[in-house]
Amino acid sequence: MKQPTFVPVGVSGGIGPFRSNWKPLFKQLLVWLSPFVVFGVFLLFYHVNPLRLYGSMVQSTFGDLYGLGEVLLKATPFILTGLAAALPAKAGLVNVGGEGQLAIGALFATGSAVFLLERFPAWLGIPIMLLAGALGGALWGMLIAALKVKGRLNETITSVLLNYVAGYTVAFFVHGILKDPESFNWPYSPEIAWTLRLPIFDGTRLHVGFIIAIVLAIVVWYVLAKTRLGFRIRVLGSNRHAAERAGMNVNRTYFWVLVAAGALAGIAGMIEISGIEGRLRPTTGVNYGYFGFLAAMLAWNHPLKLLGTSFLLGMISVAGNTLEIGSGLPASSATILMGLVLLFILGGRRRAKR
Amino acid sequence: MITADILTGAIRSGTSVMLASQGELLSERAGVINLGTEGSVLAGALGAFATTVWTGSPWLGALAGGVCGLLLSAIHAFLVISRGANQLATGLTIMFLGIGATSFLGRDFVSEQIVGFNPVAIPVLSDIPFLGDILFNHDPLTYLSVLLVPCLWYVLFRTRIGVILRSAGEREEVLFASGINPKLVRYLAVLAGGFLAGVGGAQLSLAFTHSWVENMAQGRGVVAVALVIFASWLPSRAMLGAYLFGAAQALQLTVQQQGLGISPFFLFMVPYVLTLVALLIVERRKHSNTPEALSRVLAGEGGG
Amino acid sequence: MDKRLGKISKAMMYGVLAMLLLITGCSQPSGNSGPAESAGSNGEPSASAYTDAVAGAIGTGGKAVGFIFVGTKDDYGYNQAAYQGSVAVEKAFPNLKVLRAENVPETAEAERVMEQMIKDGAKIIFPTSYGHLDPALNVAKRHPDVVFFHQGGLKTAENLGTYFGTIWEPVYLAGVAAGKMTKTNKLGYIVSVPIPQVLLNVNAFEQGAKSVNPKATTTVVFTGSWCDPGQQANAANSLIDGGADVLTQHQDCTKTVIETAERNNVMTVGYHADASALAPNGWITGSVWNWPDLFVDMVKTAEEGKFKGSIYDGKYRGTLKDNVVQLTDFGKNVPDDVKALVEETKTKLINGELHPFAGPVKDQNGKVRYKEGENPTIEQLESMDFLVEGVIGTIKS
Repeated sequence: MKQPTFVPVGVSGGIGPFRSNWKPLFKQLLVWLSPFVVFGVFLLFYHVNPLRLYGSMVQSTFGDLYGLGEVLLKATPFILTGLAAALPAKAGLVNVGGEGQLAIGALFATGSAVFLLERFPAWLGIPIMLLAGALGGALWGMLIAALKVKGRLNETITSVLLNYVAGYTVAFFVHGILKDPESFNWPYSPEIAWTLRLPIFDGTRLHVGFIIAIVLAIVVWYVLAKTRLGFRIRVLGSNRHAAERAGMNVNRTYFWVLVAAGALAGIAGMIEISGIEGRLRPTTGVNYGYFGFLAAMLAWNHPLKLLGTSFLLGMISVAGNTLEIGSGLPASSATILMGLVLLFILGGRRRAKR
Repeated sequence: MITADILTGAIRSGTSVMLASQGELLSERAGVINLGTEGSVLAGALGAFATTVWTGSPWLGALAGGVCGLLLSAIHAFLVISRGANQLATGLTIMFLGIGATSFLGRDFVSEQIVGFNPVAIPVLSDIPFLGDILFNHDPLTYLSVLLVPCLWYVLFRTRIGVILRSAGEREEVLFASGINPKLVRYLAVLAGGFLAGVGGAQLSLAFTHSWVENMAQGRGVVAVALVIFASWLPSRAMLGAYLFGAAQALQLTVQQQGLGISPFFLFMVPYVLTLVALLIVERRKHSNTPEALSRVLAGEGGG
Repeated sequence: MDKRLGKISKAMMYGVLAMLLLITGCSQPSGNSGPAESAGSNGEPSASAYTDAVAGAIGTGGKAVGFIFVGTKDDYGYNQAAYQGSVAVEKAFPNLKVLRAENVPETAEAERVMEQMIKDGAKIIFPTSYGHLDPALNVAKRHPDVVFFHQGGLKTAENLGTYFGTIWEPVYLAGVAAGKMTKTNKLGYIVSVPIPQVLLNVNAFEQGAKSVNPKATTTVVFTGSWCDPGQQANAANSLIDGGADVLTQHQDCTKTVIETAERNNVMTVGYHADASALAPNGWITGSVWNWPDLFVDMVKTAEEGKFKGSIYDGKYRGTLKDNVVQLTDFGKNVPDDVKALVEETKTKLINGELHPFAGPVKDQNGKVRYKEGENPTIEQLESMDFLVEGVIGTIKS
C-alpha cells in the first residue's frame, strides 16, 4: 500500500548557505513586531504595562553579561538536539528522538562520572565523560536505527515511543542504583566530582559546552555541505530511488545517520550534567529534545541557521521567566508568547524551495 | 475478572486517543501531518468542559470541544497550506500554544464540577456474560466513536469524497484535472481532523475523568499521531492501536496491585514498549506472509 | 553562492576564536564556591546598615518576597496550598511585592528564576518544592544577604532554613478512620512516584488503619505522574474493581480520584485540600496544609532581622499541635464512634503519648526497620525508603 505523500516538510532540499530572500525590511519588522503587539493587547487586558514588561524582558536577556550567558546557556542543548533532528532530516528521516537520546546520554555520562571517573583529572575525565554521553545517545539512536533497518519500522513513531521509555529508564536508575546515598533517598544521582565540571565563563553560568555545540554545528554543516559523504546523504534525502539506483547502500546510511544523531543528542545530555546540573534528576533536560527539534525545523534543518533559531528559543525561554515574575501572570502566559512569536515567524516567510 | 477489567479499561482510556488518531488519519490522508493534535485535544477538553459548566449539557460540550479543536487546527491549516510553513515546526508550535492557551484560559475551571457523560448500559447486550461489561457499558461518546470507525472507512474507501481526499495526499494532478482545488480539500481534512481531536479531548474531560486540569492530555495527542503511522493510515488499525495503548495503560496499574515485585518504572514503560512490539509483529507479517493482498482487502480497492 | 559560504564559515571561525579567547577568562568551578557572583545585581547599598544593627541583618531591606512553585497554583493540591500562603504574605506586608513563578522545573533552571527575583529586589525567597533545594543552596551561597525558606528540605545553610509540616500525622488519623470504615478491609492509595514524602504518607495511612483494624491492607498504585487525570481514573477504577472501598491519594490534582470514587459509591480520604464538596456521600476526612500563618510569621521574622537563631534557622517542622497541618471535618456518613476514636487518637498524638511509627515497625518483607522502643527522627521519617507491613505494592527498583 502506498503511503500518502506529504506536502514538503523541509526534510529534503539543498544545503546551501543562508538562503534568505531579502524581503523589504518593513515586512520582516512586521513579522517580528506583530506577536508583541498582539500579546501587548492581551497584557493590557490584564492590567500589565506591556512596554515596561518588554523593557525588563530585554534587560534580563541582553542587559548584562549574566543575562546573555543565560540565553546562550539555554540555547546550548537546543543546538545539539537540533542537530540530532537536522542531520537525519537531510537524509529524509524524521528523528523526534532527541529527547530520549539526551536522557540516555545524560544517564551514561553521569554513570561514568559517578562510578568510574571520580578521581580522574579534568583533562582526561571530561573527554571520557563526553564520550560516554555520546555513546549513550548513540546506543539509543542505534535502537531506532535497528528498528528502522531490520524491523522496517518508521523512525518517527519508534523515536517518539522510545522517548517515553528513555525517560522512565532514567527514573529507574535515579530511583535505584544511581541514587545518591547522601540525598535522603530522594531520586537524584550523587553530585559528580568538581574536576568533571566544564569550565564556566566568569560572571555567568555559561560553560564551554556552548562552544562544543557551536563547533559540532559547524562540523555537521561542513560534512553535509562539503564532503562526499554529505553529498550522498543529501541525495538520499532528496530522492531515495535515485540513491538506490546509484548503488548506494541506503540502509547503511540510514543506520549511521541515526546513530550519529543519537550521539549528538547524547553529548547534549553530557553537557547538561557536566556543565550546569552537576547531578542527574528525573527531570534533567525534559523537553529539550522537542525544543531542539523545533529549532531544527524552524531553520529548515540548516545546521548554521539552527544556531540562530536555538538562540531565539533560548531567548524566549529566559525572557519568559521575567515575563512571569514581572507581570504576575501565570507561567502559561510565557508559553503563549512563545507560540505567537513562532507562529508569526513560521507564517511570515515564504516556503523555502525544495 | 482481571482480563475483563483491563479490556474495559482499554476502551475507557483508549477512546480519546482513538478519536484523536482518527482525526490525524484524515489529515494525513490529505497530506498534512498535524503534530498540533495534542493542542487540539487540550482545546477540546477545555472547550467541552467549560461549555458543559455553562450550559449543563454534555452534548453541547462535546460539540464545543470539537469546534475548539477545529479552531486550533485552523491555524495549522492556514500556516501550512496557505503560507507553506514547515509542517512539523508549525505543528509543534501549535502544540505548545495549545498547552499555554488552555492552561491560561482554563484556570477558573479547575474547581468546577460537572455531571458530564456517564456509562449507559445497553439493554440486553450488556447482560451478555464477560463481553457485556467490556463492550456495552460505556459512555455515549465511546459508542459514537466506535461507530465512527466503519463510517470513516466507508467514506475514505467507498465514496467519491474519499477518493478526492486521498488524492489530495497522493496524486494532486488528478484533482487539478477534475477541477478541484487540492488546497481546499486539505483545509477541510485538517479541520475535520482537529474537530475529531477536539471530541477526543471532550471524551477525556467529560466522560473519562469528569474534570479539567491544565495539560491533562499528558501526551495522548502525541501518541495519537504516532499511532496513525502504526495503523498504516487505516481507521480500523488506528482503533486497534489506540485500544492496545489504553489496555497497556490499564494493565500496568492492575499488575502493580498484584504485588509481583516488578519495579513500577518498568511498568510505566509497558504501554510504549507493547506498542513497539505490536508494531514489529504487524510489520513482520505484512512483509512475510500476507503482503499486498491483505492490505488491499483491508483498504478496499482504493487503498493504494 | 560559494563566496557567501566562505564568508560565513570565516565569520564562524572568528566567532569561535573570540570564544576561545574568552575561555582564558573562565574558570572551573572549584570545591565550595559555585559560579562566580552574578554580575549586574544592583547591589543597593543598604543605607541603614550602619544606623541600625538589626536592619543590616540578612533578609532585611528587601522590596519583594519571591515564591517559586513546581506546578501551578490551580492544581488543588500541593502548590495551591503554598500559593495560599503567598497570598497571606501579600496581605500582611503591603509594602513587599510578592513575586511568583510557577512550573519552575527541579533543575538548575530554578537558579535563574531565583537570581531574577533577587535582582528584582527580593531578600526573602521561598523555594517550595523538594527538588528546588540544591539550586537554592547554590543561589544562597552566592547571595549571603538573602534568606531562603525551603519547603521540605533536609539540608540547610547559613542563610537557608527549611520548613515543613508533619502531614503524616493527620494522614495517620485518616488511616484510623478509614480502617474503621472499610468493609472489605482493602484501602487504595494512588500516588505518583516512590519518593520519601509519598512513602511516608502511605505508611502512616496503613499504620493508622492497622492500629484499629489488623486485617486492613493498603494497595498502592503508582501513576508515574503528579497529575494525569486519565491515569488517575484508570487507577481508581482498577482499585475499585480489585475490591478497595476507600480511596486516597498523594497527587497534585486530586479531583478526579475523589469524583470517580463518589460515582462508584466508594469512600474517599482527601489530601492537600478539603474536597468534601466533591463527595457528599463518600467523604471520610482529609489532611491539609495550613501555610498562611506560618509563612507570615517566617517573613516577619526575617524582615525584622531575627532569622539567625530563630526556630526557622534550621529544620522547622510544624505539627498538628502547631496547626500547620490539619485534619478536615468529617463527612456526613462517618458514625460518631469513629469520630470519637479519631479525636481521641488526635489528642494522644498532640500530647505526645502516641508516635505513629513507634517501634517495632516492620517492612513488607517482615524486616524490622524501627526497633522496639525506637521513635524515628524527622530525618529518618523524611528519608523513608520502604513500605510497611500491610501495604501491597512494589517500590524496589
